[in-house]
Amino acid sequence: MSKFKKGGKKEAPGVNTSSLPDIVFMLLFFFMVATTTKDADPSVEITQPTGVRAEDMTPFKQRSEIDFLYIGVPRNKARQDDFKFGYALFLDNVAQPSPGELYSVNTVRRWKLDKFEAKPDRMQQPLKEVITCVKADEKAPTGIIFDIRKELQEIEALKLAYAVKDNGNY
Amino acid sequence: MAKRDIPEINAGSMADIAFLLLIFFLVTTTMDRDKAYIRPIPKKVEITIPPEPIQKRDICKIVANSANQLMVRDKFVEDPDEISELVLEWYRKNEDLTAAETASAALNPQHPGFEFPFYNRFGMAEIDQNIERTTKEAEEIEKVEDADPALIEYYWAKVSEWEKKKKALKLYGKSELPEISPQAHIRIEVQIKTGYEYFAKIQSEIEEALFELRDDASQELWGFGYGRIITTLGNEPTDAEFNAKKTLLEALYPARIIEVTPKK
Repeated sequence: MSKFKKGGKKEAPGVNTSSLPDIVFMLLFFFMVATTTKDADPSVEITQPTGVRAEDMTPFKQRSEIDFLYIGVPRNKARQDDFKFGYALFLDNVAQPSPGELYSVNTVRRWKLDKFEAKPDRMQQPLKEVITCVKADEKAPTGIIFDIRKELQEIEALKLAYAVKDNGNY
Repeated sequence: MAKRDIPEINAGSMADIAFLLLIFFLVTTTMDRDKAYIRPIPKKVEITIPPEPIQKRDICKIVANSANQLMVRDKFVEDPDEISELVLEWYRKNEDLTAAETASAALNPQHPGFEFPFYNRFGMAEIDQNIERTTKEAEEIEKVEDADPALIEYYWAKVSEWEKKKKALKLYGKSELPEISPQAHIRIEVQIKTGYEYFAKIQSEIEEALFELRDDASQELWGFGYGRIITTLGNEPTDAEFNAKKTLLEALYPARIIEVTPKK
């Protein structure tokens, strides 16, 4: 008999995983703080143009004082011919109306008013102050934006924002 | 009674729960921030008052047609990046002229700044007089029986405009407050089929020019950039000092932009 055991099976000690939740929570909190929630995934394809010195919309989003409106080529290419100029309108948070109705300016008016009514009273800003942010594809005809602008003027929602991709900071 | 050991809670699945939450947030959020140019839409007016004739020098017209060609003040522009420099030139050309120089330049078509907007200069005494005058006017309108409330509002807005100028001049710290001709504006004309890319580019270039103007003024007055004012107000929207500074810079270089609805 030897004093020292030799041979035999050696088992690797298990890695202590008790700090794993802490690490994961740290990651979690980082992402919660550093990101903003995505609004609806638009069913239109958009490549945003670039611009500089654009204003950050995050504070308005946090106060939900902003409605997004998308103009782009429909992902379903077969439907492209249904729309004027081949560009479709996508309004967030509504079930999409039928294709014929989709690019009709009256939809914008109804959508804007519906969204306004749906907000709880304490969050209600006067309609005049609620920004409508247009996210349009770089090739989209500007005429569509002016059609929307005219509709908004009719219901006195008098703030319009033109979205761009801006990687710079102040 | 026998002492019972409290069994330890198995925390092994804690990591799983945390991962689940993490993945949920990863999927539902975005990193990129939405950036946009906010532009007010003018209120619809029912009554059409014949507009005052606007002098050509007061308009900075930027045109983009359906073939995506650009024109600034009736001259073709090849490179869209040049727009900001032309807008800057339009703002700055006559900025440093004194009142006497302005008066003579306005009569002399040979003057290099003849085709550019002129600046008015207001001293404190003049501003005080105007506050007094506009207040009197507003009060008189109020006394009129069944006066249109919109009209009364319009007159009081004039008063507050002068009061704003008074505050701005105090902060400016000089004897006179320069102000670009009240009719001077930037006019964007596009056609229905102009690409949004070009429309956005024009907005971007205007914003770039305005930033540079305000930034230079801010550096000169307080030794730090306009960017710092924006960032501070982003974190602290009610900061009185920085709000006053921003108002002054906006009074010096107002962003008066008219977007013309395309007809074809």
